[in-house]
Amino acid sequence: MNGLQAEYRDIPVLWEVSLHVRAGEIVALVGSNGAGKTTLLKVLSGLREGFLKVARGTLRFGGEGLWGLDPARIVRRGIAHVPEGRHLFPGLTVLENLRLGAYLLASRREAAEALERVIGMLPLLGERRRQLAGTLSGGEQQLVAIGRALMQRPTLLMLDEPSVGLAPRMVATVFELVRRIRAGGVSVLLVEQNVRQALALADRAYVLENGRVVLEGPGTALVEHPKVRRAYLGL
Amino acid sequence: MSAALLLDVAAGGLLLGGLYALIAVGLNLQYGLMRVLNVAHGEFLMIGGYVTYLLHVHAGVDPLVSLVASGPVVFAAGVGVHAVLYRRLLRQERTREELEANSLLISFGLLFILQNGALLLWSADLRGYQYLDQPLRVLGTVFPANRVVAFAMAAIVTAWLLLFLRRTLAGAAVRALMQDPVGARLMGINVARVHALCFGLGVGLAAVSGSLLSMLFELTPFVGLPYTITALVVIILGGLGSVGGSLVGGLILGVVESLGVHFTAPDLRMVISYAVLALVLILRPYGLFNPAAHRPGQSVQA
Ligand SMILES: Nc1ncnc2c1ncn2[C@@H]1O[C@H](COP(=O)(O)OP(=O)(O)OP(=O)(O)O)[C@@H](O)[C@H]1O
Ligand SMILES: [Mg+2]
Repeated sequence: MNGLQAEYRDIPVLWEVSLHVRAGEIVALVGSNGAGKTTLLKVLSGLREGFLKVARGTLRFGGEGLWGLDPARIVRRGIAHVPEGRHLFPGLTVLENLRLGAYLLASRREAAEALERVIGMLPLLGERRRQLAGTLSGGEQQLVAIGRALMQRPTLLMLDEPSVGLAPRMVATVFELVRRIRAGGVSVLLVEQNVRQALALADRAYVLENGRVVLEGPGTALVEHPKVRRAYLGL
Repeated sequence: MSAALLLDVAAGGLLLGGLYALIAVGLNLQYGLMRVLNVAHGEFLMIGGYVTYLLHVHAGVDPLVSLVASGPVVFAAGVGVHAVLYRRLLRQERTREELEANSLLISFGLLFILQNGALLLWSADLRGYQYLDQPLRVLGTVFPANRVVAFAMAAIVTAWLLLFLRRTLAGAAVRALMQDPVGARLMGINVARVHALCFGLGVGLAAVSGSLLSMLFELTPFVGLPYTITALVVIILGGLGSVGGSLVGGLILGVVESLGVHFTAPDLRMVISYAVLALVLILRPYGLFNPAAHRPGQSVQA
């Protein structure tokens, strides 16, 4: 995306934001509360809710423009979004949640293959397939949300604070999963409050403040940056 | 007053309650999904009734066979009505209050148009016919056969609906959209199309109920509204958005109404419904089966 401005009811919250993710990269997006990270992901996935509007700028993915497309078309182009708060279907089983991830896949066979792959990657979901998603622990729900997004067979996976509220062991599981997803050839755009771990995992990172990109660079370099150390790492 | 008589009255109420359940499930599909309170729901029931009546009286079609016509025809009409009246409303993003208020106005308009259309076409005369009114013994009690048949058909259609919602991907998409619209959009579910489908299904179920009711009661262009109100009481009883709740709620209301009418007077049928509604609103505002912690629409069991 280039020079992007996005607004809620004519109040801009993203200004001149330019950001890119290369194939096979893990890119972290960090910033304080209200910086506009979630808004940025919503713009990319076409989720125009809460009177969100893209005022200007360009959005491209794999050589094609994304401007004005609805979520279904964007999913078809290969972008999957695990939203803040997960947005699972609590009264549906884990299996039904996963199947809905493959809602747009053309054939039953493709959907069955996607399911097999996702359960192979996350065996826990296979064990819990009959359980209602709303009765799972927070960490398990996060895995279902990621699994559901993977069912869409994305080439870019966007995760909005996947580790928030999880126990340290579960956070490690999620970060490990992100690594495995990238190893499978999927690029990842990761929004995190867990700045230290996110920067350690990411190839590159952006720091967003008040709707503007204030820093960008390799994750390892940003960890050393005095501003990041002061503002986000408490050093 | 013998216990046996009371049981008879209750059983008769249960049979009628099966129809209430079907009408209410149809209304709940529309409200639970779109927050569109369709006050013209009963008018689609009335149309279903007239379709069956006309086919039976003029073409000799068996009322049970005509269900196969009235359901799908009104389903298609419902999808059309949705495209013309609601599509534009739902396309632009609005607050929930705006949406509820606008959709209420639209459906009031629809109610007047359909009622007056029916009045022009079919006049205000009472229309009815005799069908399967020989006595039938069920579980030691005697009922007119048509009541038992109507209940059985309502049960079959309801079972079909539950299978659709629980066993198909399209049904899962409907439930997903009820439970989490944001999640559903991120899965690529076409919200406008699912809304149209549910509006059509809802009024189609009303039409089937109307066809069945025409076997039992006489029709006028004005029969619809009381059924809409009954259905509203049922979905508030069973929980907004809960299909299972509507089924149980319908049966309960049928029994309570029949017993209430038995001890008072037939004229008081609606008064009894309102009393039930008032009690539920005071004691369990989220419905009998929704835990109080859940707000309407968030807890959905199909
Ligand atoms: N629906 C909305 N309507 C109006 N303003 C909104 C809406 N959603 C978010 N905002 C505002 O936009 C700004 C950016 O919000 P956003 O949710 O993108 O931040 P964030 O970086 O994801 O924050 P957090 O770390 O708390 O998740 C905030 O000032 C917020 O108040
Ligand atoms: Mg956020």
